[in-house]
Amino acid sequence: MFTFALDALLFFIIITPLVSLLGRKIGFRRFPPIFATVGFMVSLAFLPLLYNQVLNNGDIIVITSELLFMRPIAVCLEIDMLSIFMTAIFLFIGLMTCIYSIRFMEHDTGLVEYYTLLLIAVSGMVGVSFAGDFFTLFIFWEIMCISSYALVAFRKGKWEPVEAGFKYLIMGSAGSITVLYAMSLLYGMTGTLNFAYLSTTLSLMPNNAWLYLALTLIIVGFGVVASIAPFHTWLPDAHAAAPTPISALLSGIVIKAGAYALIRCLLLLFIPENFAWQSVLAIFAIFTMFVGNFMALLQKDIKRLLAFSSVVNMGYIIFALSIRTEQGLTGGLFHIMNHAVIKALLFLCVGSFIYRAETRNLQKLIGIGRKMPVTTALFAIGALAAAGFPGLNGFMSEITIIIAGIDVGWYIPTALMLLNILFSIAYYLLLIHNLIVKKPTINYEGIKESPKSMLAVMVVLATLCVVIGVYPAPFISFANAAAKAALNIQAYIEAVIA
Amino acid sequence: MIPLTYYLACSVALFIIGLYCLIAKRNMVRLLISLEIMISAANINFIAFSAYAAPGSTHPLAHALVILSIAIGGCILAIGLAITLHAYKHYKTLDVRKLKRIRW
Repeated sequence: MFTFALDALLFFIIITPLVSLLGRKIGFRRFPPIFATVGFMVSLAFLPLLYNQVLNNGDIIVITSELLFMRPIAVCLEIDMLSIFMTAIFLFIGLMTCIYSIRFMEHDTGLVEYYTLLLIAVSGMVGVSFAGDFFTLFIFWEIMCISSYALVAFRKGKWEPVEAGFKYLIMGSAGSITVLYAMSLLYGMTGTLNFAYLSTTLSLMPNNAWLYLALTLIIVGFGVVASIAPFHTWLPDAHAAAPTPISALLSGIVIKAGAYALIRCLLLLFIPENFAWQSVLAIFAIFTMFVGNFMALLQKDIKRLLAFSSVVNMGYIIFALSIRTEQGLTGGLFHIMNHAVIKALLFLCVGSFIYRAETRNLQKLIGIGRKMPVTTALFAIGALAAAGFPGLNGFMSEITIIIAGIDVGWYIPTALMLLNILFSIAYYLLLIHNLIVKKPTINYEGIKESPKSMLAVMVVLATLCVVIGVYPAPFISFANAAAKAALNIQAYIEAVIA
Repeated sequence: MIPLTYYLACSVALFIIGLYCLIAKRNMVRLLISLEIMISAANINFIAFSAYAAPGSTHPLAHALVILSIAIGGCILAIGLAITLHAYKHYKTLDVRKLKRIRW
């Protein structure tokens, strides 16, 4: 119905709670994690199939009404290389967090709901990346958002997740309602919500104030989830308060879904020749980087520090979008992939510290590297990659964005981005210094290395960091194919209309 | 027939009222209600546009979307009220300004 990859996820969403209920009857309580993991694996296994299908079908497949006159109002899925690229990241990080949760969440109650919500959140994101019209996009967007509100406030017995969850709910839903309002304006002007028909109609339309209003509302609405600077305030609270696998999920892929929606809408609907959004978006991106970096330098809580670093990295990605050349967008999409891997690794390592030492305070974690050497070594790889150390993956994508910025002649914004990269090196080196080099100030009796299943996930992610850094060619060409698909508006339109 | 402009003015007014509530009000339940007001503003827009699309008929897309967006509004409200309930258990108040124990 929705292609195999998404169907498999939806099937497991239904089957996981049912089977877990049966499992509880016979006294076997480990069904939910097993079924969720299998669900992600099956969906990931179907992805190459979908990839081949897209390649064989001229880089785009469209699933919509057969009748041509119904197409402007029919629900539409349109899958191109960009969708495949994002889906691969979403499913991979989803699988990693799911495997990690098996040990991390074992003492919590309500695990059936937890794993089902995890599957629902990831399937919402996959649906967002497949959507070919605003209707489908909005429905899947809300599926993603609502399940992540519930996941942030999952440990409802403590005050912190509840407070952060409420803040996230109010800001996130205000953002998605803003998008809904912009959709209603676009619908009123064109009579359709299909991206292809909207794009052709809007490119012929003279500019007017309503179109600019719709553009502003879309940037603000998706910007809340993509954490562009004035709207980023939910992010550090939600990332710090959520259970750590969920922090990895939020930082790795939920905010990337916001970036994806911005890329799709801005490139397809609002042509930069008619609407001068590029420079405005670049200013927002630079502002985002500065805010994130200054706040990150002040943090004493390690999860909040990483959360602010996510804000900085979203600044890089939005900056790459505002460059809008093929190279810039390649860098941006490549950075989406790299940042998802790095931030998932960092958050999961911090999760291990929390699992063993039960604190996230940086002062109390000093010198923990002597007790948990492997975890801390993996953390150091992630921190160096995020700081842009040459030979690791963060460096490759950042240099691509910088070269693209210089190529279009944006010297000052690119210099500001470079300055921000140097800033971020400061706090990452401080983290490594605190965790590894300094002598422990507190007695860590009885702290052991992290459990094996958690360690395995972190090793996979750290290996990926090194592999992408040393041998980036296949990954860059994948990102490049995605960027070409995002910029090839004509092919996207003709696939539906012709 | 009432001109379309009146409906648009009404919906813009509702959206601004919702936004004002969201910024100015303290009560957590009122914040959730203000979200609902904003959803209604968008829904009125959709229905008005679909009714005026062609004389004598309505455009079907907007109706399907509005029904789903009402349902989504219900979901947001349900999750929001559940979180509000737990917040009340922890803080013994519905005043959102008391929810500031998280410090940077």
